[in-house]
Amino acid sequence: MSKLKKLLANFKLFFSYRELLFNMARREITQRYKQSALGYAWVILNPLFQLLVMTFVFSTIFKISSFSVPYIIFLMVGLLPWNFFAQSLGSSSNALVGNANLITKIYFPREILVYGTIIAKIVDFLYSCIVLIPFFIYFQVILTWQVLWIIPIFIIQLILTAALSLIISSFNLFYRDIQYLLTLIISLWFYLTPVLYPIEQFPAKYRFIFIFNPMSVLINAYRQVVLGGLPPNLNSLGIAAITSVVLYIFAYLLFKKLEGQFADYV
Amino acid sequence: MIIIKAENLSKIYNLQRQKTFKEFIPALFGGQKTKNKFNALSYLNFEINRRESLGILGKNGSGKSTLLKIIAGVTKPSDGRITVNGKVAPLIELGAGFHPELTGRENVFLNGSILGIKRVNMEKLYPSIVEFSELTEFMDQPVKHYSSGMYMRLAFSVAVAEKPDILLVDEILAVGDIKFQEKCLKRIKEFQSQGSTLILVTHSPGQIEQYCQKVLILDKSKKTFFGSVKEGVEKYNLLTS
Repeated sequence: MSKLKKLLANFKLFFSYRELLFNMARREITQRYKQSALGYAWVILNPLFQLLVMTFVFSTIFKISSFSVPYIIFLMVGLLPWNFFAQSLGSSSNALVGNANLITKIYFPREILVYGTIIAKIVDFLYSCIVLIPFFIYFQVILTWQVLWIIPIFIIQLILTAALSLIISSFNLFYRDIQYLLTLIISLWFYLTPVLYPIEQFPAKYRFIFIFNPMSVLINAYRQVVLGGLPPNLNSLGIAAITSVVLYIFAYLLFKKLEGQFADYV
Repeated sequence: MIIIKAENLSKIYNLQRQKTFKEFIPALFGGQKTKNKFNALSYLNFEINRRESLGILGKNGSGKSTLLKIIAGVTKPSDGRITVNGKVAPLIELGAGFHPELTGRENVFLNGSILGIKRVNMEKLYPSIVEFSELTEFMDQPVKHYSSGMYMRLAFSVAVAEKPDILLVDEILAVGDIKFQEKCLKRIKEFQSQGSTLILVTHSPGQIEQYCQKVLILDKSKKTFFGSVKEGVEKYNLLTS
């Protein structure tokens, strides 16, 4: 009972600091491109060049089939959400460590630092989606109402991202090895998620690994609802949702347990 | 009415000997010691009433800053209890929340929210913060172009914008020029007369005589004295001479 009370008190405290959350996100966004000529345009230019290069390599050279849609369209629908995921995890490893001076001086709920970086990445993600517009018009991609499914799919992705970010940020505070390990894991994870290729091209006997990878379920679901005009596979999406929520609860409790030691170890 | 109460307050730091996995894993399985224990505070007892201010004296490494961190809620005691009844404003290190690329104005609002002040209140406080800092014409410049004195002035102005119940000060009364210092001290006095409690860490007994009613002397993590200023300062002078 007292644990539940403590949890409620934590939520209340977090809510009272909600302005800090958005200020942290804003700080994250404004500082990043302050002394650059093109500023925030980089958020769009980066994925654009990434898409052009990858399309050339994987479609023109390696001739990966993307069925009925042009490869660049196929790629961007998977790559943009993947970028959001990978960049969130990457910046979360620095979310606590990079704010050591605040952590050792002033008390506020520490998860704000982690969520703040994720919010900044959401804003980046939404802007980067502008890239889609000219290509969708040029290739005359027809959207159906099924596209609204991206909202719940994105929310599941957000929960998964938040869960992993909480774990990574706090572990990296104790052992800096995590940030190096993370770079490795993310690049492996990228190749084991059907971003560059359709899942059908993966050898059938190894396809079981996608069951353990919620990101592959989510990427497939995005493609299904945006390009296929079909509802997502609710079974696998449901499993991904449950996995993400359970992981988030675990991550949150772990984070809150470790929080009291952050200032001593950072 | 008690504002801060410490009961058997202790803090033990576990200093990790190995900083990376590469060092830690072999040490763990090889049966080496992985941690060094370090007592920063041992069994501290004291209480402070509302409208009283406390001065903390002690040599470097005696646990003064650790005590401030525990009061600020930044770190948890390893043993014992601390009860803090009121809103704490730490002046522990000025400008901790400032970001060099953001403008003075942006930093003021960011720092305000770090201190837990609502945006509506910040809008109201903003003119007085700028006025206090005497940096009106620099507010739209990134703080990386500020001199260190200007930086401190702005940070201090934000920190004392709202009257706190408890103000934590860690040897930072050397802000800017003498005129500005006097202004800061005057502001602290004002807060005290309005009922704020000041917790002051310093090496100077003179400051304590001026601002505090109680003294705590720490030596090697232990309390050697807690009581009135007159007695405390005498004792401290005896210890250090």
